[in-house]
Amino acid sequence: MSSITLNNITKNYGSVQIIKNFTDKFNDREFITLLGPSGCGKTTMLRMIAGFERPTTGEIKINDVVVSSADKFVPPNLRNIGMVFQSYAVWPHMNVFDNVAYPLKIKHTPRPEITERVMNILEAVHLSPYVKRMPSELSGGQQQRIALGRALVSNPQVLLLDEPLSNLDAKLRESMRFEIKDVQKRFGITVVYVTHDQTEAMAMSDRVIVFNHGEVQQTDTPMNIYRNPANQFVADFVGKINFIEGTASEGQIEFAGGQRMNYSGDKQGDVVVAVRPENMTMRTDRGILRGRMIHEYYLGDVNDCRVDVDGTALRVISSGNTYGNFHIGGEVWLDFNEYLVFDRA
Amino acid sequence: MGKFRFDVKAALISAIVLFLLVFNVFPMCYLIFRSFFVENGFTLEPLKRIYTYPLNWNALRNTLITAGLSMVFGVMIAFPLAWLVGRTDMYGRRFFRTLFVMTYMVPPYVGAMAWLRLLNPRVGTLNVLLANIFGLSENPFNIYTIGGLVWVLTTFYYPYAFITISRAMEKMDPSLEEASKISGASPLKTVMTVTFPIMLPSIVAAGLLVFVSAASCYGIPSIIGAPGQIDTVTTRIIDYVYVGSAEGLTDATTLAVSLMVIANIVLYVSNFVCGRKQYITVSGKSTRPNIVELGKWRLPVTILVAVFALIVVIIPFATVAMTSFTKNLGKPLSGANFTTRYWNILFTREAILDTAKNSLISASVAATAGTVIACVMAWLLTRTKARGRQIPDFLITLGSGTPSVVIALALIMTMSGRFGINIYNTLAIMIVAYIVKYLLMGMRTIVSAMSQIHPSLEEASLISGAEWHRSFKDVTLPLIAPSVVAGWFLIFMPSFYELTMSTLLYSTDTKTIGYELFTYQTYHSQQTASAIATGILIMVVVVNWLLNKLTKGEFSI
Amino acid sequence: MKKFTVFLVALIVLSSLACSAGAAEKPKITIYTSMYEDVIEAMTKVLHEKFPEYNVEFFYGGTGTLQAKIAAERDTKKLGCDMLMVADPSYALELKAMGLLHAYVSKEADNIALEYDPEGYWYPVRNLNMILAYNPENFRKEDLPQSFKDFAYDENMNGLISMPNPLTAGTALVAISALKDKYGYEYFDKLKANHVMVESGSVALTKLETGECKVIMILEESVLKKREEEDSELSVIYPTDGVICVPSPIMTITDEWSAHGNSKICEELTDWFLSPEGQSYIVKGWMHSVLKNPPAVPYDSIPTADIFRSAMPVDWERCLNERTELRTNFEERVKTR
Repeated sequence: MSSITLNNITKNYGSVQIIKNFTDKFNDREFITLLGPSGCGKTTMLRMIAGFERPTTGEIKINDVVVSSADKFVPPNLRNIGMVFQSYAVWPHMNVFDNVAYPLKIKHTPRPEITERVMNILEAVHLSPYVKRMPSELSGGQQQRIALGRALVSNPQVLLLDEPLSNLDAKLRESMRFEIKDVQKRFGITVVYVTHDQTEAMAMSDRVIVFNHGEVQQTDTPMNIYRNPANQFVADFVGKINFIEGTASEGQIEFAGGQRMNYSGDKQGDVVVAVRPENMTMRTDRGILRGRMIHEYYLGDVNDCRVDVDGTALRVISSGNTYGNFHIGGEVWLDFNEYLVFDRA
Repeated sequence: MGKFRFDVKAALISAIVLFLLVFNVFPMCYLIFRSFFVENGFTLEPLKRIYTYPLNWNALRNTLITAGLSMVFGVMIAFPLAWLVGRTDMYGRRFFRTLFVMTYMVPPYVGAMAWLRLLNPRVGTLNVLLANIFGLSENPFNIYTIGGLVWVLTTFYYPYAFITISRAMEKMDPSLEEASKISGASPLKTVMTVTFPIMLPSIVAAGLLVFVSAASCYGIPSIIGAPGQIDTVTTRIIDYVYVGSAEGLTDATTLAVSLMVIANIVLYVSNFVCGRKQYITVSGKSTRPNIVELGKWRLPVTILVAVFALIVVIIPFATVAMTSFTKNLGKPLSGANFTTRYWNILFTREAILDTAKNSLISASVAATAGTVIACVMAWLLTRTKARGRQIPDFLITLGSGTPSVVIALALIMTMSGRFGINIYNTLAIMIVAYIVKYLLMGMRTIVSAMSQIHPSLEEASLISGAEWHRSFKDVTLPLIAPSVVAGWFLIFMPSFYELTMSTLLYSTDTKTIGYELFTYQTYHSQQTASAIATGILIMVVVVNWLLNKLTKGEFSI
Repeated sequence: MKKFTVFLVALIVLSSLACSAGAAEKPKITIYTSMYEDVIEAMTKVLHEKFPEYNVEFFYGGTGTLQAKIAAERDTKKLGCDMLMVADPSYALELKAMGLLHAYVSKEADNIALEYDPEGYWYPVRNLNMILAYNPENFRKEDLPQSFKDFAYDENMNGLISMPNPLTAGTALVAISALKDKYGYEYFDKLKANHVMVESGSVALTKLETGECKVIMILEESVLKKREEEDSELSVIYPTDGVICVPSPIMTITDEWSAHGNSKICEELTDWFLSPEGQSYIVKGWMHSVLKNPPAVPYDSIPTADIFRSAMPVDWERCLNERTELRTNFEERVKTR
C-alpha cells in the first residue's frame, strides 16, 4: 500500500508562484503522469514529492505518513523513494553494479543479498552482460537503464521519473516506455512520471494531470483527456487538433467565412469548434464545411492533408489509401461528427 | 529525526564560522581596531599618515601593476598549458604536468635568488650567455625592473592557475566541444568560444589565487624589487613592522588594510564576472574523455612546451640544485669548486630533521583541516542557499590577502592568553596561522571543482537513502577527489616551507623548516638554503610518484 | 566531519601538551637574540655546564623580527622572554624609557670599554662593525673606495654598490645615523646618485661573489664567518673614515614583564656574558669583545682596540630621537626612483 496525498500544495520562488494550490491523491499502484509544457511546474511538483524542495504551504503524505508540512520535513533519504533523473545522474566513478547496489549498501543490506537483488534488477533492465562496465562505456539507453535499476533496487514505495526518456532516440524511447510500464506492473509500485511528451503520457498512465502555469488544467484517464479535454489548452496540448472560430446562436454555429453547421449544445456567442484531424472525413459531395485541398503528404499508414476553409488551414488525417483521390487545388467537403465547442477566450 | 540532521549540518557550519571568527576575524579586527584607537581614543591619524605618504601610494601602484600583470600572464600561460596537458595528445603530458606544478614546491625566496643570478643586468648567467650567442653589446635583460618582478612572480604563481584550471579542464563534458566542432568551428575557435567560457569560473578562481598570492608575497619583491627601488605594499609593510615599535605595528596594519581591501575587491569583481553563471560540466551522462589530436602540430607544440618548461622550470631549478653543491658562487661549478658539505649539513644537523618533522606535522594538520573547511565551504557555496554563506568566503579571502607578518603579529597579540585563548608558543598557533593564510588556495580549487558537478548526482544518492554527508563521501568527494588532493597540496606546500610567520611564532620546541631556511638565509648560506629547498623538492617528487603509483594515476599533484 | 572533530581534538591535545611541557621544574630563562645559531649552540652547551640548575634557552630571530615580536607581546602585557641580546643601545634606551628593563650593576662593568648604562639597565655585550667588503678575485683593493665617503661619492662605483636596508636592519640605521652626522643628508643623495642597491646582507654577499657588485657595506661578522667556514676570499676594507661600531646590548626584563620572572638568575647570567669567558664565545662568533682587555680577536680581524680608536662616533640618544626623520629621509632621498 503506497499512496501519495497532496493537500493544498503551493510553491513560491520569491514572488513567483510556481505551483498554485495543488490537491490530489495518487493511489497505490497507480501510474500518474504530470504533463505540461516546460516551465509549467511539473518538475517542481515531483521534486517536492522527492523532498528536494519544500512546499511553501501544504502537506504531503506518503502512505498516510506526513513527509512534508508546515512543521515537519522528512529529507529525501528517509522517504524510501526511487527516482530517475532527466540527466540519468549515473555516477561516473562507479561501475554498473556499484551504481545499482548503492541504495542497498546505504541500507546495510548483507552482501549476498545485495548481489542477488542487484543481479535480479539488472536482469530486469537487460543489463546483465554489463555488470562490471563503467557508465562511460555504455550507451545513453543503457545508462538510463542503470538509473532505472538503481531507482528500483531497494523496492521503493514510490518511483519518480523526471522526463527519463527525453534524451533517447525514438525507437529506444518507445521500447523503454513499455519496459517502464512492465516494470511498474511487475513491481507493483506507485509511479509519478513527469513528461512534456503526450504520447508517453497516453501510453503508460492510469491518470494524467495536465499542468499549465502551475495550475492543474485537467485530471483524468488518458482517453478522457484526449476525447474530452476540459479546455482549449488541454485540447491543444494533448494530440493534434483543428480550431475553427465561429459564433453560436439558435441551434447553429456560423463560421468566419459564412458557412454554418447545426449545433445543439448550450454555448452562445463567440466559440471555437475543435475537431481532431482523424475525426474529419473528406468527401466530394456535401459535408459540413466546404474547402480547397492545399496539400497532401503520404505517410504510408495515413494520408496527412491540409484543407483551406475560408482562409483557415485545417489538418485532416485519413487512411493511406485515400491518397490521390482529390486534386490539389480542387474542391473538397469536410464532414465530422465528433467535435468539441469551447468558449472563445 | 529531520530536525536533528539539520542541526548536525548547522553545527558544522557554525564550527567553521566559529573557527574563522576566533582565529581569523578577531585577530584582524583587533589589529585594525588598534590602529584607530591609540591611547587617547579614536583617531584617524595613522590612516592619514600612511595614505598621504606618496611612497606608499607608489608601492600600492606597484603592487597593483605587478600582481595584476602576473595574474594576466599567469592565466595566459596556465590556460593553454592546462588544455594541452589535459585535453590533447601532446607527447609527455604526465611528465609536463608534474613539471609545471613543481615551481610551487620551491620556496619563493630560494627561487628568486636563482632568477637573480640568471638575469641580473651585469653578470647574469643567462644574460651573458644570450649576449654572447647573439653578439649583443649589452645584456638583454634587467631583472631589477617592474617587468623583471612580474616575470619572477608569474613564473612562481602560474602553477596556482595551472593546477586549478587543469583539474576542471579534464572534467569537462567533451560533447560541449564536439558540438562546437560540428558547427564548423576550428579547434582554436572551439577553445576560444566554448572551452574558455565554460572554464571561466575556474579561470577566474585561478586568476584570483595568482593575484592574491602575488600581491601578498614578500620574498620575491624584497629580493628582485629592492635593487631597482621598486617598493610594493608588502615591502613597505615589513619596513614598518621592523621599526619594532607599537607605532610601527600600527602603521603596518593600517597599510595592510589596503591589501585586504584589494584582495576582496578582486574577489567580488571575479564573482561579478562569473555572475550567476554556473556551468555544469560533469553531468550524470557519462561520456568518454576525449582527446584532441594535434596531428601535424603534435611535435612542434611539444617542443614549444618543452622550451617553456626548460626556461621557466628546469633552468632555475638546476641553478638552485647546482648552488647547493657550489663552494664559491663566484666561480663555475667545477671539480675544485664542488662540495657536498651543504648536503651533509642537511642530513647531519639534527635541527633540520627535527624542524622538518615539526613542519610535516603542522603543514599536514593545516592542510587537512583546511581541506575539510574548504570542502564544507564549497558545498555551502555551490549547493545551498544558506543565508550569509558568503561571509566565511569573504573572511577567508581577507585572511589570504593579508601579508603573513601581519597575521603572525595579530595572532601573537590575541592568542597569548589575554582573551582567554593561549596557544602562543605551540604548534597550534602555527597551524592556525597557516590555515588563515593559505586556506583560500585550497578552497578556490575545490569550489570550482564542485560547481562543475551536476547536483542531480548528489540528489540520486539522497533519494537512494544516503544522508547528505554520506552522499558527499560516496558521490561528491570521489568526483572532486583530484581537486581535493590538489587543494590539499596547495595548502600543504606553502605551509611546509613557510618562513615569515614561522619565525615570529615558533618556540624552542616548535621550530619549523621555514625557520631553518630563514636562519640559513640570514646566515649568508645560500647553499644550505638551496640544499634544503632541493631536498624538499625531491621529497615532494618522490611522494607524488608514490601516490601516483599507489592509486594508479588517480591522484597526483 | 569526523576529520574536523579529530582536528579539533588534535588541536586541544597539542595545545595542552605544549602547555604542560612548559612546566619543567628547573627555573627557566628565555633569551631573545640575533646572534648566529652556532654561537647560540656553543653558548647553550657551556651555560648548561656552568649553570646546571637553570634551563637557559635562546630564541633566535632577526633584529627587526624580534623587535616586532616584542612590540606585539608588549600589547599582551607579558613578554615571551627574560633577557634580550639584540639590537643597539638606542633600542635599550627606548625599552628603558618604557620601563621594561631591570637594573643591575654588574661586577664586570668596570672592565667594559664602551658606553653602558650607569644604573645598569643595559650593557654592551658584543660589538658589531659596519665595514666595506670586496672580492679580491674580481677586483683589486686599490681600485676600490677605502672609506664610507668614497663608497657614496666615487662615481666609478655607480650601480656597483650595495648596502643593508636601514628600514629593516637596526645596524644599518645606526650606520646611516653616524654617516649623516658626519657628512650630512648630502650623503644620502650621493648614495642615490651612485645607484646603491638596498638589500639584505645575504643577497649582497652573493652579488659580491658573482661580481655583480664591486663593494658592499656590510657587517664584519658575515664576511669573517664566510672566510673561516667556507674558505671564502671575500675581504674586509676597514674604512679610513672610521668603522661604524654597533655595540649590541644585553638587557634583563623586569619580573613584572618577563616570561618567567627570574631576574636574579638573569643577573648571574649577565655577569657571565660580560666575563672574559663569556666574551670568548662572542669572539668565536666573529664579533668583537666589549672588554678593555679582549680575550681574543675574531678570526682574521684586526685588533679590537684599533677599531674602537678609529670608530666613527655614534650619538645613541640622537639615533633614537631622529629615527623617524632618518627613515623618512632615507626613504625619500634614496629609496624613491
